[in-house]
Amino acid sequence: MTARLRVRDLSVSFTRGERVVDAVRGVDLDVAAGRTLVLLGESGSGKSVTANAILRLYGRSARLGGAVELDGRNLLGLPASEMRRLRGRVVSMVPQDPSAALDPLRRVGDQIVEVLGLWGMARSRGAARRIAAEQLERVGIAEPERVLRSLPFELSGGMRQRIAIAIAVACEPQVLIADEPTTALDVTVQAQVLDLFSELQRANDMSIVMVTHDVGVARMVGHDIAVMYAGRIVERGPMEQVLSAPRHPYTAGLLEALPTPGVPRGSLRAIPGRPPGPGEELAVDACAFAARCRSAVAACWTHRPPLHTVGSDHDAACDVIDEPIRISFPTLERTEVA
Amino acid sequence: MPVYVLKRLAQAVPIMIGVAIVVFVTMKLIPGDPVAALLGPNSTPQSRHDLSQRLGLDQPLPIQFLNWFVSALHGDLGTSISLQRPAGSLVLASFLNTLVLLGAALLLALIGGIVLGVLAALHPQSALGRIVRGFTLFTISIPQYTVALLLLLLAVETGILPTGGMTTTGQSGPGTVLLHLILPAVAASITPMGGIARMFASSLSEVLHQDFVTSYRARGLASTAVLRHAIHGSVPALLTITGLQISYLLGGTLFIEVIFAWPGLGQLVYQAVSARDYPLVQAGVLVSALVLVLVNVVVDSAHAGFDPRVRA
Amino acid sequence: MSADTITRVVASPLPVRRARPRVRWGAETVAGVVIVGGLLLVALLAPLIAPSSPTSGDVSRRLFDLGTAGSPLGTDGQGRDILSRLIWGARPALIGGVTPVLIAGVIGATLGMVAGLAPRFGRSAIMRTLDVLYAFPAILLAVAIGAALGPGVTNSVVSLAVVLIAPVARVAEAEVLRVRSADFIDVARASGATRAIIAVRQVLPNIAPALIVYCTSLIGLAIVYSAGMSFLGLGVAPPNPDWGQMLNDLRQFIYDRPLLALVPAAAILLASVGFNLLGDGLKRQLDVRDGEVLL
Repeated sequence: MTARLRVRDLSVSFTRGERVVDAVRGVDLDVAAGRTLVLLGESGSGKSVTANAILRLYGRSARLGGAVELDGRNLLGLPASEMRRLRGRVVSMVPQDPSAALDPLRRVGDQIVEVLGLWGMARSRGAARRIAAEQLERVGIAEPERVLRSLPFELSGGMRQRIAIAIAVACEPQVLIADEPTTALDVTVQAQVLDLFSELQRANDMSIVMVTHDVGVARMVGHDIAVMYAGRIVERGPMEQVLSAPRHPYTAGLLEALPTPGVPRGSLRAIPGRPPGPGEELAVDACAFAARCRSAVAACWTHRPPLHTVGSDHDAACDVIDEPIRISFPTLERTEVA
Repeated sequence: MPVYVLKRLAQAVPIMIGVAIVVFVTMKLIPGDPVAALLGPNSTPQSRHDLSQRLGLDQPLPIQFLNWFVSALHGDLGTSISLQRPAGSLVLASFLNTLVLLGAALLLALIGGIVLGVLAALHPQSALGRIVRGFTLFTISIPQYTVALLLLLLAVETGILPTGGMTTTGQSGPGTVLLHLILPAVAASITPMGGIARMFASSLSEVLHQDFVTSYRARGLASTAVLRHAIHGSVPALLTITGLQISYLLGGTLFIEVIFAWPGLGQLVYQAVSARDYPLVQAGVLVSALVLVLVNVVVDSAHAGFDPRVRA
Repeated sequence: MSADTITRVVASPLPVRRARPRVRWGAETVAGVVIVGGLLLVALLAPLIAPSSPTSGDVSRRLFDLGTAGSPLGTDGQGRDILSRLIWGARPALIGGVTPVLIAGVIGATLGMVAGLAPRFGRSAIMRTLDVLYAFPAILLAVAIGAALGPGVTNSVVSLAVVLIAPVARVAEAEVLRVRSADFIDVARASGATRAIIAVRQVLPNIAPALIVYCTSLIGLAIVYSAGMSFLGLGVAPPNPDWGQMLNDLRQFIYDRPLLALVPAAAILLASVGFNLLGDGLKRQLDVRDGEVLL
């Protein structure tokens, strides 16, 4: 696939006092024009860090390694002023929490007009307000004038998320990074917002990187998926292929643990243990998932399997599994509630 | 917004009444018989009784309070025992001088506090940040009277600035007042400056870690613009701390004025305390507290102006 | 599980909200402990370490400067050795600082807890009443009460305690409100524990850290205020030594012996800094702040 966004060997380390924390290691990603890549993982997997790193939102506390190429240009090598000019216009982000994404003390209109001026999309305040109203309509807001005059706390969470999306896509960026855009929303609003993403993508051939921990959301919008664990990618490939025929025990575990329609109640199986936290020290020469893996063998503790091809465009980082894992659900076990 | 201001004013009224009650109660705490004290050891029971009746001291307490309160509303705050003049006019005249001093000190404290606060918030780990934090810790620990004494010492040793009073004898006009204002204003401003710097640094730092700041950056805003917005977001907290510092300044002015012989309310109260002139002490404290309540209404209204969420 | 078991389980104190990391003694905390500890020692050992009498002086030896043999910190207007007065002055300083905070702490914390756990009306009533005290500049209220009661250590302590009740109560109430919304309180209430039990066993341990930090810094402030009261003639009566009183005493000689007044000033400052450092250090141990600010 000809990728518009190519991430190669991305690593992000943070310095907290004297300690150095490796949050993301050796991440490779490809996103083509007009397609959505889902970054799936639990908290602490490094998915949000990856998303933020693409936009270079970290300052001196983080060390970034590797490359992030947008149409051939390495974003990590750009001078800060250049990068700033790309943000919002060429690469933009929809943040996670809609209530916190907007400045609580300024009217919505002022905030939008500000960036429109910054991006050179409007010459005068009047023109900017008109364009702002148009953008709000584009994301499905019915009374744009009223919303422009409002303060964020006067609006609902769904509305605020739409505004954040409107700001992010106003300049028709090439790449949109959405960090858990539906987590803080009600289920009914979630579907509307996800539809919105698809629409916008179709209209502008926009590439989307969507970070989420929700397999259901992933399925709804993603063309391709990359599963992250402990700061690394453990499996990636086309969405349906990975989800129906996973080749990494963690992916299979996620699918078995997450509620899916059709699966009988009470038959979910949780992955034992817990994922490593963001700062935890991990052995260099072992598979990070070994402690929780049903299929682990002795070799898993002495050697970290690299990502290797297991199908067309499908890679997985496991040496033990050599055929698609069948997702199975144990039979219902009744527990007495005392 | 006007509704909010009115609401605050309405809330302030019971507080002001409460303040009056507290001052009245402290007056009643004075041990001993005030009538006997006024008339001396050779007074007769009859003369004491007459005076007591005349002063209304034989009435039940709530009536006494009402009488006193009503008189106070008319500007009659009693008579200064030591100066034999109406306490009200003494307090008013000196309060104006205190206002000048306070205004200058507050201005200095705000400017210095904001600058230091921004520095400390932006460079938390660097040497500069540590120096600023150390300085602010020092300034909030140092009592105002110590700062005043140090500056006085400096003035005495170097002779650059006048060491006391509001004007130099023989001169008049804003120029000489300004010259005399410098030392006491600086002395008064140091501690509040530290307090404001600390709180502002803390609040700004918190704001800078909030998601909307990251949003601003993700939209491509320049650092200066982001900082501007962050400071704007910290103004409400700044207003809160300013309100507190004004309260502290009003109290601290007592010592500053005494040390620099600035003829304000603080010095008046000090002299009144030394002379056991209770009516004057109470009058001074009452006026200070009432003014402070009103100042707080103003500060709260400004706070609501900046942060409309408060009005909800 | 029987109701009895539930009550016992729920009534046991749940862990303080933040799990304490291994104790990190920052430089500030250490400095604070050293200063405060030193102060305590000096106060306790005053009779043993003071070189001469703090109250009687030789007028022929008045106003000696710093560094004079026999009186390293000089002598005051009545020939009394300043060093000795300084050492003995540590006692009223500590008493004047700690006692009001202790009293205000207990009363304020109780009021704050009652207010925080009370229904809306009761809480408003209590806090609004305290707001009245808050409306006064602290020192002025203390002066008003102190002037009325008359000079003396007890009166000064009482005045300051009254002034400090409102701030402590506010902090306590705010903390209680914060804790009150926590789930484990609901669990306790659902199990039928009485409000008193909830207050003492669940709420108190969780608001205690913030209160302790606040009160520690408040001691620093109280020391400054009580010295201020003595400065104004409302605290410790002469000839007993007290730093604030010494300050007022020595400032009249600022033209001839300017440095003498700095001695008690430095002592007050040191005590205040010490308690503030201690309070800051304690706070740091309970708070986690992240590093860099991004622009």
